[in-house]
Amino acid sequence: MTIARPPTLPEEIPAAPRPSKYMRPRRYFSWPAVVIGLIMGLAGGLFYAWNVNPISEVDTAPWQLRQEDKNHYVVAIALSFAHDGDLNRVQERLLQLRLNTDPIQYVADVACDLASGGYVDSSSGLSAIRSMMVFYQLQGRSGCADTLIELDTDEPETQVLVLPTPTLAPPASKTPTPIRNDRATATPSTLVIVPTSPPQRDFVLVSVNTFCDSELTGIIEAYVQDFNGDGIPGQPVRVRWDEGDDTFFTGLKPERGPAYADFEMEEGKGYTVEMPGLSDPTTQPLVAVPCTTDDGEQALTSYRVVFRPVN
Amino acid sequence: MRRFFVSLFAGFIVGVGLGLYLGWIQFPVQFVNSPAADLAENFRDDYTVMIAAGYQADGDVIGAIERLRILNEEDIPEYVQDVTVRYITNSRDVDDIRNLVALSEALGKLLPIMEPYRQVTLPGQQP
Repeated sequence: MTIARPPTLPEEIPAAPRPSKYMRPRRYFSWPAVVIGLIMGLAGGLFYAWNVNPISEVDTAPWQLRQEDKNHYVVAIALSFAHDGDLNRVQERLLQLRLNTDPIQYVADVACDLASGGYVDSSSGLSAIRSMMVFYQLQGRSGCADTLIELDTDEPETQVLVLPTPTLAPPASKTPTPIRNDRATATPSTLVIVPTSPPQRDFVLVSVNTFCDSELTGIIEAYVQDFNGDGIPGQPVRVRWDEGDDTFFTGLKPERGPAYADFEMEEGKGYTVEMPGLSDPTTQPLVAVPCTTDDGEQALTSYRVVFRPVN
Repeated sequence: MRRFFVSLFAGFIVGVGLGLYLGWIQFPVQFVNSPAADLAENFRDDYTVMIAAGYQADGDVIGAIERLRILNEEDIPEYVQDVTVRYITNSRDVDDIRNLVALSEALGKLLPIMEPYRQVTLPGQQP
């Protein structure tokens, strides 16, 4: 017996399959597995490249040297300077050490370390440290080597000659005096002969200008130029003030040109500028007084001085 | 499961390659406590030139040898000679060549090619 469907019921429609991840077409790769594998491989590759088999280091730069050899490198720089006096080259070489401190003071510190150890036991070491001392002292730096090692200086020595000075015979007198054999007596006197050199005036201060700049506040900018106005590096410039002086050299800031050297003044103090032994000092002191820039900012007056050869 | 491991392996291979590239080429290990013997050739040359200049300043050939010893060269006179010849053939700075020639001569390694750069002391001239 069959049961007839009521004519009012619609034809039965098969139900749509529920969406399921099992029904989606499978990708060839499992991306989560790829990511996990990638991370594992990356970690393993880096570990191998950095720890197990790092690239062999054959192109070491001076800044990568161990401290001991870095000291040797600094010694070589100072020795080279002792021969050629080329400050620009010294600066380039010191920059290769990528120091975080004042490179010239670093030379003083290395000299201090070496002078404190056994490096000075040999004459070669002693000579090297003296070369370093000459270098950093010329730049106005100091270190403990100054107290540990005496620097050979080529300053003119004071020569003391003891010469006999004859005493003149006494004038004749009416009263006869007994004849004496010792007519002249030698009395020691001291004659001090100090070698002198004629004053050198190779350079002359041709201009002094002032300017007011908030970024260059209280600066003495010194330029040493030749006849054509081209900069001359390695020239000493000395600044004097009440309590002391400082000597610095042109060309140590190559980005400002070979003629350039600068000095930072203290507010209210007066300074004279000269090239030691080569020029006369400025007649009027340069004073770091407050000024106002074009932008209305407060700063200290800066000076720009130019030295050129005489004739 | 097989698909998972194949994907893991593929990712691992790619990751290893990427890691080696980064570790060896892009961000290689930078040593900071290297001996002077590992200096790059241009810095070794520069160091040698500096020592030669120092020799010109103090005339201390033993000191120069001692200072060059940190480069770990077996035969220092031979090494100085090689550097000098290379500087001459590459037309490097004349002052550097003169310093190197002076040191080579002091080490007994003067070659004919160095003669033009040799500094001689004339009679009555300060050495």
